[in-house]
Amino acid sequence: MNFPVWEVPYIGGGMLIGIIAVFHVFIAHFAVGGGLFLVLTERKAYRENNPTMLEYVKKHSKFFLLLTLVLGAVSGVGIWFTIGLVHPSATSSLIHTFVWGWAIEWVFFFVEISSIIIYVAMWEKMSRKAHLTIGWIYAASGFLTLAVINGIVSFMLTTGSWVETRNFWDGLFNPTYLPSLVARILISVAFAGVYAFLTVTRLKDEHARITVTRYSAIWVLPALILFPLSLWWYYTQIPATAQEIVGGGIEYIQTTATYGIIAAALLFVFVLIGPFWRPRAFTFAQAVVILLVASAAMFSWERVREAVRKPYIIHAYMYSNSMLVSEVESIQEVGLLQKAKWISERELTEANELKIGKELFRAQCASCHTVGGYQDVVPHLVDRTQEDLEIILSELPSFRGFMPPFAGNDQERRALAKWLMTLQPAASKGGTQP
Amino acid sequence: MIEQLVIPAPDAIPLPAPVWLLKGLLLFTFLLHIIPMNLALGGSFTAFITDLFGRKRNSEHHLTLARSFAKMIPIAMAFTITLGVAPLLFLQVLYGQLFYTSSILMAWPWLSVIALIILAYYGFYLYSFRWERLKGARLWVVLLSGVLVAVVGMIFSHNLTLMLTPEKFAALYHSNPSGTHWNFDEPTVVPRYLHFFVASFAITGLFVVIYGLGKIKTNKAYGKWAVKYGAMWFTIATIIQMAVGIWFLLALPRDVMMLFMGQNMLATILLGLGILLPVISMMLLILAAKSEKPRALAVSGISVLALTLIVMVIMRDIVRDGYLAGKFDVFDRVVDPQWGVIAVFAAILVAGLGVVGFMLTKVIQAQLHADRIGA
Repeated sequence: MNFPVWEVPYIGGGMLIGIIAVFHVFIAHFAVGGGLFLVLTERKAYRENNPTMLEYVKKHSKFFLLLTLVLGAVSGVGIWFTIGLVHPSATSSLIHTFVWGWAIEWVFFFVEISSIIIYVAMWEKMSRKAHLTIGWIYAASGFLTLAVINGIVSFMLTTGSWVETRNFWDGLFNPTYLPSLVARILISVAFAGVYAFLTVTRLKDEHARITVTRYSAIWVLPALILFPLSLWWYYTQIPATAQEIVGGGIEYIQTTATYGIIAAALLFVFVLIGPFWRPRAFTFAQAVVILLVASAAMFSWERVREAVRKPYIIHAYMYSNSMLVSEVESIQEVGLLQKAKWISERELTEANELKIGKELFRAQCASCHTVGGYQDVVPHLVDRTQEDLEIILSELPSFRGFMPPFAGNDQERRALAKWLMTLQPAASKGGTQP
Repeated sequence: MIEQLVIPAPDAIPLPAPVWLLKGLLLFTFLLHIIPMNLALGGSFTAFITDLFGRKRNSEHHLTLARSFAKMIPIAMAFTITLGVAPLLFLQVLYGQLFYTSSILMAWPWLSVIALIILAYYGFYLYSFRWERLKGARLWVVLLSGVLVAVVGMIFSHNLTLMLTPEKFAALYHSNPSGTHWNFDEPTVVPRYLHFFVASFAITGLFVVIYGLGKIKTNKAYGKWAVKYGAMWFTIATIIQMAVGIWFLLALPRDVMMLFMGQNMLATILLGLGILLPVISMMLLILAAKSEKPRALAVSGISVLALTLIVMVIMRDIVRDGYLAGKFDVFDRVVDPQWGVIAVFAAILVAGLGVVGFMLTKVIQAQLHADRIGA
């Protein structure tokens, strides 16, 4: 309403964020856990005086650099770009609340980037002790960036007492801060092992390959055993509506969650019987399969976490279509046309009803729904009359669970319903038109 | 009916710091960002030309320098991005109403920045890591990456000028809400962009001068050649930059231009300095290139140019607020500073810089150690 809505064809803005965000978190979690993996493996190689393991971790660090520094860092900026485009109001609110949190994260990010560049460039060019120190600095700074951003991401679902106090720390250390942090650390540690599988099969020395393969599996298995516990803890802290959604309130979210659990279980089994039990027979193809299964589990978890926030983008503060909870009532009184900035006309007439209806759709629905693409509205119109639609629109939160209320007056609701009727597939025209 | 000027309302949440502090950080971190940005952008084209020359003429000096560029550019790229995040953050908190809107209007070009940077970045790593194996093909890799980075810069120029002209927003949005607009009808967009593009060659030239000064100790002939070569790039770029700067100034809307022509004392003084300082810097570097002992002259020339960068960054801010005068006042905001969090940030910033400093001393120690063994 305050900002223009960018029309993203077919997939919609929400899905666009999802694609870029999931891509980013695959790599970002790896960057956090992988930092620890690098330095601990390096230390182990020194202690056991194992040159092949050292050679391995050196090569792995280069792969790590190319993946995290380029794809990880740039896709992180990509999330920023995308949320600003798709959810400018929410991004603005988050930035007004947490600009100093981001500034703090940026310092850690700066240290992180500096240390990984030095770490990879200085193998065997500085003392072992100094090189390990750089490795520890990298691992610590990676973890600290997660510790900050986790506060902002978890805040969106559990705003907690911030809604009343508007206090920075209340927002950052919100009710799901800790369980979410623990879950993400476990994912990071597991991903460090999962990515290590990709490079370990290249090791030529068989003895070393078997050692490092099993060693990498040990990064994955305990983390996967603990993960369900952290998830349960997380589940107890999320709002009741969120628990309801994942418990079946929205069917496809429950399904996604179920697939996520299956994928995580499969991941455990694959790692157990593959690299852990039979490291000698472990191949690159198996490593790729494990990465894909891990990615599927990750995708489900992020997808569900995003979806249970419905109908909000910032819980109890802003709806997913950027309307503030506090302003909806006044908009319903005076009408959206009087308040919205990016509507082409201020007066609703019979002549412009359809045009305004379309613009109302853009302003209120298009942040989640498309016409004919992802989260398509068309199937919801089948067998409906305009009157049905008007009633549904007036009772959105109860008719279609977990949707924000329609923010507009009666005439505007009629205009939107009228435009929606034009999208109805010809074969399914509802009963008699009013 | 469509209003001429539609600007989103300020966020309901107050600014978490005074405007002067956020603006100070915006300008400071932008200054930090443009230094590696210039090295990545100018460096890639300079590397291409230097490498090409080295291969065609079989010049050892050119090839050695190009090899050093290949190692430097990915690092410059990493810091361009890292240091670019901070000004983007402060820009959003201060100018978000304008910035998000202009970004939405040109959403696809804007979003493509991410893909372009990833491609360019991998190209730079390819140039660096596959130097020997790629042979002549590496020239095209670094040139392509340079072009991609140059395109990214152009997209930035478009978005950051579009956000200054909110009077265009409503009409553009209602003509097409799919986020495919550009800002080509803005008269300053081309000279503004060129002002950045040409500057990147000057800054890269200075980087080569600094690099040459460092090499004089171990390899006198090569070090002196590099100082001369860098000074040449700097001089040529600075002369072209004078012309581009005048074009940019004349292309500004009259009200904004007049700020620099006496209406605003600070702006006028800065413009004077912005013309004078690079001329001084250029003369010092020409003298350095001809001198037997170039260090003192070169360092003073580079220091003068560092001042010029500060002047330019402030002028750019005056242009921004000049464009917005009467439409948007960045100081007109409800402020509720989070002083406690700001103090935590300041402490972490100092600690973070300390850690980076510590790591650099470790690197320098290791290199000194290696030099000693080598000697």
